[in-house]
Amino acid sequence: MFDFITIGLTPPLMIAMAFVLPIFTLFIRRKGFYDVYALIATTLALILTAYNYYLVLYVVKQPIVYPFGGWPPPIGIVYEVDALSAYFGLFTAAIMLMIAIYSIWYLKGTSGYEWYYTMLLGLEAGMIGCAYTGDAFNLFVMLEVLSVAAYGLVVFYRMSHEAVEAGMKYSLIGAVATTVYFIALVFIYGSFGTLNMADIAYKSRGGITFPYSGMIVGNIHLASAVALALSMWAFTFKSAVVPNHFWLPDAHPAAPTPVSAALSGLVVKVGIYAIIRFLYTIYGLDSVQPISNVVSTVMKLLIVLGALSALIASALMIVQSDIKRLIAYSTIMHVGFIVISLSLGTKLGIEAALYHTVNHAVGKALLFMSAGVLIKVAGSRDIDEMSGVGRYLRLTTLTLTLAVLSLEGLPPLAGFFSKLLLYEAFIDSGLALLAMVLIISSAFALLAYIKLLYGVYFKLPTKEFTNVREEWTYLIPLLALAASLVLLGISAPMFVEKVLAYISDELFNPLKYVRAADSIIKVLGG
Amino acid sequence: MSTDLDLFLANVSLISLLAIIGISLYGILARPNIIKKIIALTIFTDAANLLAILVGFRRPPSAPPVLLNLQPSPSEIAEFSSTAVDPLPQALVLTAVVIGMAVNMLIIFIALQLYRLYGTLDVRKVRRLRG
Repeated sequence: MFDFITIGLTPPLMIAMAFVLPIFTLFIRRKGFYDVYALIATTLALILTAYNYYLVLYVVKQPIVYPFGGWPPPIGIVYEVDALSAYFGLFTAAIMLMIAIYSIWYLKGTSGYEWYYTMLLGLEAGMIGCAYTGDAFNLFVMLEVLSVAAYGLVVFYRMSHEAVEAGMKYSLIGAVATTVYFIALVFIYGSFGTLNMADIAYKSRGGITFPYSGMIVGNIHLASAVALALSMWAFTFKSAVVPNHFWLPDAHPAAPTPVSAALSGLVVKVGIYAIIRFLYTIYGLDSVQPISNVVSTVMKLLIVLGALSALIASALMIVQSDIKRLIAYSTIMHVGFIVISLSLGTKLGIEAALYHTVNHAVGKALLFMSAGVLIKVAGSRDIDEMSGVGRYLRLTTLTLTLAVLSLEGLPPLAGFFSKLLLYEAFIDSGLALLAMVLIISSAFALLAYIKLLYGVYFKLPTKEFTNVREEWTYLIPLLALAASLVLLGISAPMFVEKVLAYISDELFNPLKYVRAADSIIKVLGG
Repeated sequence: MSTDLDLFLANVSLISLLAIIGISLYGILARPNIIKKIIALTIFTDAANLLAILVGFRRPPSAPPVLLNLQPSPSEIAEFSSTAVDPLPQALVLTAVVIGMAVNMLIIFIALQLYRLYGTLDVRKVRRLRG
């Protein structure tokens, strides 16, 4: 059990590192200290999550359970890391490290950097915690940790009108969303008598008793339907699927650029992760009869909502003149694709969704961060006022172009392969209309991207730009992300076959998840 | 108390809770004043917490889940299991209350900053963003 200390250590360590940081503000003022602190914390997170990934996928080859305080699963809170959790944790930590490096450059001359780093580390802790937890209530707690940090970061520029307005919108409805998830948990606890994910998963599949856990106490069919409906509302809010997307185009552009990258690339993916966890592990198409009907209905609904997200967001992308708003709408579109794909209920669909998740995270972070450099030099977010600024910053424009081309899907970049996989999954499921949605919204998005690239690079500059020397502090994360886009693209066949196939196999075999929790009870002396 | 009355009271509390949830959601979505929205939000979270407490409710005679003897006799265990209240919903609510306080404080500070910048708390007048 204590061999797997890194599993239990990662999120609490990150939370501790985030919350210790304000103490240093009492006696240290230098920005350099906080930069190094954030770098150390995010590097540590990357090392730990990479080690956990290695452990889960290559050493143990089954989900690892870490019981806190040695209490067996249904009684105590546990972290249960399966391949899906490890995968989400790893790419979150990797991109957060790039964002931390970029922040060093971005925060030059800004006051309040100590609070910025506190919230950024809190955000990372919440995201990794969400991915690692094996307890539905702990997911709520981690979701709140993440949300509070995200609200704080959106209103980081507190003298900016639009940041405060967007933050108000986001935080008020976000608090409602997390409370709705809490109500869903009450229904789950009231009927299943447990909040442990493995325990619920077992009982929803017709299992009667789990060691240390009571019998089912209520009508699990009705309660599961209510809980699924409520929690799906909360998670689609977090991942900005169409009826709940209204906050994203305001909140993401208003935040500081590295935070926009984190919110658009990673935070919406936490919602995706939670949807996958609820629709495949906790409940599933193999649940007992009425519940599986509810699951398949929810999936059909999510397909429709995902298609609407993709179409509406791509149409709205074209009319944006604010570069960050344009990129934010593109996030809604891509989340739409991912949600459609994961709701197909096929292995290929899950593989495509997971692959597109990581490609979109890398591409979107790169796009936001490259655009942030251009915005800072041009002094405006309006594409018309930024005209020609890319001519002064060649390398940044190169990474911007790579990100755009990958999101649009040009071989050999990563986005091409994930869109190909999405297309295959849509066709394979027999819903050719969805493939049309993918193509039409990609075509709309192409118009918007051409407008962006044309405005930033090909248009002649209308004014002189000063301070146009490119700096290594931001080029390092940009070039690293661009290189990883190419690498992900080149290694696509191997990546899909080795990693994603393994993850989806595990997702379609939820009893493996249950058995891991069951076996730890025996170790602890059940 | 008879079980009929119990069932009736449980239904009344459940229906009034649902009514409170409905009213508070209306308040959050429809009232123009941000402070009133925040008040409605706290009512909403409190209703959710009360729902959780209701799940852990046990008809009296009930007692805290504490065994005073280290080596209890079978009769003590029988009494314990017939009176002990499930402590988990209360622990959940305690956690949710603390988290809710942090979120509410943050939202109130955002509202204060909004008032400083716009000079109003009416959402109909706070419209810089195109939506």
